[in-house]
Amino acid sequence: MDNIYKPELVEIKEIIDETPDIKTFRLQFKNPELQNSFKFKAGQFAEYSVFGEGECTFCIASSPTRPEYLECSFKLAGKTTSAMTKLNVGDTMGLRGPYGNSFPLEQMKGKNIVFIAGGIGLAPVRCIIWNVLDLRDQFKDITIICGARTVADLVYKNEIEDWKSMSGIKTVVSVDPGGETTDWKGEIGFVPTIVEKVSPSANNTIAILCGPPLMIRYTFPILEKFGFKEENIITTLENRMKCGLGKCGRCNIGSVYVCKDGPIFSYKELKTLPQEY
Amino acid sequence: MEELIISIDNLKEIARELFNNDCRVIGTTAENKFKVIDDPEQLILNPNSVPTGSSFKEFFFPKTEPLFFYKQNNSSIDLIDPVIDKSRIVVIGAKPCDAAALPIISKVFNWDYKDDLFNTRNDNSLIIGMSCHYNDEFCFCNDVGGSPENRKGSDVFLKPLADNYFKAASVTPKGEAFIKEYQKYFEKDLGKNKPLVRKEENPNHFDYDKVKTWLDNNFENKFWDTAGEMCLGCAQCAFVCPTCHCFDIVDEQNGSCAGRRAKNWDACQFSLFTKHASGHNPRDNQEKRYRQRISHKFKYYNDKFDEILCTGCGRCSRGCPVSLDILQIVEEINSLSQKSNAI
Amino acid sequence: MNELKQICKDALSEKKARFIIGYKEDKNKRIKPFIAKTPEDAEQLTFNHHAVNNLAVYLPRFKNNVEGKIGIVVKSCDLKAVTALIQENQIKRDDLFIIGVNCSGVVLDIAKEFNKDNTQIKCKYCQAKTPPYYDALADESKDFEMPDDDQAELMAKIDKMTSDERLEFWNAEFEKCIKCYACRQVCPMCYCEKCIVEKSEPQWIDTSSTARGNFSWNIIRAFHMAGRCIGCHECERACPMGIPLTLLTRKMGMVASSEFGYRHGMSLTEPTLIGTYSTSDKEDFIK
Repeated sequence: MDNIYKPELVEIKEIIDETPDIKTFRLQFKNPELQNSFKFKAGQFAEYSVFGEGECTFCIASSPTRPEYLECSFKLAGKTTSAMTKLNVGDTMGLRGPYGNSFPLEQMKGKNIVFIAGGIGLAPVRCIIWNVLDLRDQFKDITIICGARTVADLVYKNEIEDWKSMSGIKTVVSVDPGGETTDWKGEIGFVPTIVEKVSPSANNTIAILCGPPLMIRYTFPILEKFGFKEENIITTLENRMKCGLGKCGRCNIGSVYVCKDGPIFSYKELKTLPQEY
Repeated sequence: MEELIISIDNLKEIARELFNNDCRVIGTTAENKFKVIDDPEQLILNPNSVPTGSSFKEFFFPKTEPLFFYKQNNSSIDLIDPVIDKSRIVVIGAKPCDAAALPIISKVFNWDYKDDLFNTRNDNSLIIGMSCHYNDEFCFCNDVGGSPENRKGSDVFLKPLADNYFKAASVTPKGEAFIKEYQKYFEKDLGKNKPLVRKEENPNHFDYDKVKTWLDNNFENKFWDTAGEMCLGCAQCAFVCPTCHCFDIVDEQNGSCAGRRAKNWDACQFSLFTKHASGHNPRDNQEKRYRQRISHKFKYYNDKFDEILCTGCGRCSRGCPVSLDILQIVEEINSLSQKSNAI
Repeated sequence: MNELKQICKDALSEKKARFIIGYKEDKNKRIKPFIAKTPEDAEQLTFNHHAVNNLAVYLPRFKNNVEGKIGIVVKSCDLKAVTALIQENQIKRDDLFIIGVNCSGVVLDIAKEFNKDNTQIKCKYCQAKTPPYYDALADESKDFEMPDDDQAELMAKIDKMTSDERLEFWNAEFEKCIKCYACRQVCPMCYCEKCIVEKSEPQWIDTSSTARGNFSWNIIRAFHMAGRCIGCHECERACPMGIPLTLLTRKMGMVASSEFGYRHGMSLTEPTLIGTYSTSDKEDFIK
């Protein structure tokens, strides 16, 4: 029997404390052959297990251009993530995947890219950012706008510094009003406001955004105002999932299975769906 | 092919032989409930009976089943596949509204990844369907592409004749092979046993195409504010339904270092079904959840899989604690669609 | 019948109630819950032996009600649930416009006519065909001779079982459970925003419909009903698998009554059994 529900075993190689409630796990398959044969595309997700506690859905946060490990970043929210926070380096987890569609990398080539992320929404965006940066000469200007509620809630702080120091990349980091510290040198404001301030050009540009539902909702009209076409605004949905295989019926939006037909959708595609995300 | 008939006694003999050969024989008994038949004498084939309280989907898609077992030894973890019962499943006397459900849900279990838990049982099954002579105010098979004589999902189809005989015909190659396997129990039809006739034709209630068109255009409509207003959000409707197939995946510890991951029935009427860990819930009230139930059955599944996710058996309505009647809801949509056409 | 319609129509037009939770008859002559929002809607309100639902189950939805009174049509058994919800601070008496109906029994099987073989168990031992209090009363009752309380015999039989026999009896019943939670959803006293079965940290109850999961769900629910069940029997009526759930809840109620002299839902002012400490408690751990 081919058991589509049975995960492969992975070992935790490294744990990075991103924020008080967000961690990044660096994982490797226990079976070295799998580590070599496992292929995925930026934007795809996986199901991560803690045996006895359950499974959780997160995007793969590392870039497919760096195949020696897989990373996932997760926020403490429920039963499984709470069990995950108690794990240590060397512990074993389960992993099923990769599932879902991916960011339109081919369509993005030769274009300017604006990455917009809020909170842990930076995880899937970080995956495609590194994918693009590792193929830097195939893309034009790159802008990264990322925000968090407070300075302490910013994820991938070191990598943000890396992006800032790279030439040809405009990196803007913001925190929500009230979330700044006295020595905060970045922007203060909600992500949509910062996007408005940065006012990216829509000319030959694709916008990739991910973040809380409210951030997404308020950023769409701003991008449209700047002349972005619906098909050039790309986002990723986070409907609740269980199977990841187009079976359990949980992630459905209308006739779309987010786990199979998504999680990446253009704003144009989103507009054809019922508002159930 | 020559026409065959079979007596109820010989059907019971087939059931006995199947049972002795380690088959799981599923049929209805005096309490009008599908169950594994261990005594063929209990088997009752009554075309006039109301559809059973629950459909027989549980024999293909159980209310709970293990996906795998895990065992932790020091730092290593063993994952063990479940043992799936590969014995043949033979359902005797399925109503057309029950039999039709299997090919419908088979689509979701196979459209991309293949769910071998479902497939193993489905592939090893043989469905003996039977014409239905029952009709009540909740039945509407003929409005959703079925009929009391519909053979969809059946491998062998029976039509009741006088004196406890049934006319038997194979519908699929599997059914043909089955009749051949048990040919000694079948007789040539000499026309002696007159067919039992349905008392009356089932009425038509709505025009599915009109309902579908209305649903295509009315995700936002004030109709939904009251359609599911009285729904209490239990899952009686989904769990007795032959086509509802949504499920949950949970881990269960058994002792400190072993346990199982299981697949359990779940339902879109539960408030937690779509709730994110963050607290955000895309379907945050019962009205939205009821719209999902109706839309999934009569629109979404059809858009995706070209099947209506409903066989018109009426079980959900017969059992609803607040008497929500799916047929009346769809009839209302039908009349709304006529009104919107008139304008 | 006209009396009920008239009361409700007046209540809505005189704004004594913002809306009325009552019963209507659908085109198949089924009686089902219905919310009348206008005096015209009130024309549809009805009551008869088929008005089985305990409409109090809808009240906790309006816990944070601010906009005027909620009208509700109640039988005397349903009123106990209303009272219990008031006692448990889920709704305020002042927020309600209670339309009592005199009731002479309701059916067990809604598809069949009302007669002595088709009568709910609760009606067989009901002691008040008129609700003890109300804001308006409609008399819809007819004379009817109640059959004997046959559940009491079964309960006596179960009481006589050894604990192993009882366990076997209940295991066989709970095996049928499919975890549809219809028992919980129809229960006016099951108003928790997050049910214990939905709590996952820790996971108190297996959500799977296994012997263990089914047993723990049904027994824990019964315990949560101890001293709280008002005996409307809606759980048993709603159960699609025919589990005799009221054998448990009724027994719990009988114990609360015999051991503590308490019956839930009988007084607007009496403190609840579970919410009260008493130094006269029989058990000495409390002293």
